[in-house]
Amino acid sequence: MTDTAPAAPRGIDPRAPRFAAWITSALLLVATFLGLIGASTQTGAASFGWFAYQPLANAPLSAWVLPTTPLGVRALDPAFLLTVVIALLFLWGVLSPTTSPWSVLFRRVVRPRLAPPAELEDPRPPRFAQGVGLLVVAVGLLLHLLGVPLALPIATAMAFIAAFLNAAFGFCLGCQLYLLLQRAGVVGRGPRAA
Amino acid sequence: MSPIPALLVLAALVVIAAAAGVVWRARDGRRRGGSDVVDLTDLGVTAGRVTLVQFGTETCARCPQVRRMLQGIASALPAVDHVDVDLTHRPDLARAHRVLSTPTTFLIGADAVLVARFNGVPRRADVEAALSELPVLQEAS
Repeated sequence: MTDTAPAAPRGIDPRAPRFAAWITSALLLVATFLGLIGASTQTGAASFGWFAYQPLANAPLSAWVLPTTPLGVRALDPAFLLTVVIALLFLWGVLSPTTSPWSVLFRRVVRPRLAPPAELEDPRPPRFAQGVGLLVVAVGLLLHLLGVPLALPIATAMAFIAAFLNAAFGFCLGCQLYLLLQRAGVVGRGPRAA
Repeated sequence: MSPIPALLVLAALVVIAAAAGVVWRARDGRRRGGSDVVDLTDLGVTAGRVTLVQFGTETCARCPQVRRMLQGIASALPAVDHVDVDLTHRPDLARAHRVLSTPTTFLIGADAVLVARFNGVPRRADVEAALSELPVLQEAS
């Protein structure tokens, strides 16, 4: 019988990442809503009042507005701002999982009201999943800044599905991607001399 | 997009996510047949022993619970071993055994033939049923 991880870090309460996933999925749902009603989905035929943009006279009626908006307007879209906050929270979860806000909230407020955990779990899988979440929303943010319509709500919707599956079912989609990313040569290449 | 259609899209999104979770839960850990001879190189399997080989990685959230369950089964049955294979830095092994996600569990017979394969978290009863089909364990009981 071989043991996987000789130097596995100290375990965490398995309910902590799921608690955080509920908050994350709620935030991502709100971000998706803001993305859908915001600049990302706006077309030339739609009202152009709310951020004072006048569509070009000769633009087709169904043309997306986002590619022609100034960068500052794209960056001040409410969906963009909320997604930046979510991305920063993901980054915090990758860099320092124990000090991230939801983890602190769980330890201070939620955990004292619960029975002690039956067993502790490895903190590395949820940390990896935070990194995958960060990657997905960062791609959405970047494409939105470049003026790609729909990119932001699609990215936040994908991240929502992953966070919701984790919160409601305990399935870590980000963790499941590890071997596929390894196959693509992104992570874990080659045997490491332990 | 105006708020009402946007809310409908959100509702659809939640329904899709919930449906995906229900389907995943139903399919997860189901036994799949297998009759191939497994290349035991680097798996840590003792030749001639019935072995539950569990593939995991450092980022596998549900591997610890499978490990506890399989260890429990193996410790109750003297003829059965449990081996844990870490694929974190072994893409070669993942490729060779076509492991696309973890946890994945192989039940390998004493003749190195794959008796059953479980992708996801197997049910304890399914693992025990697969083990009970093996001649070695029928003699013992």
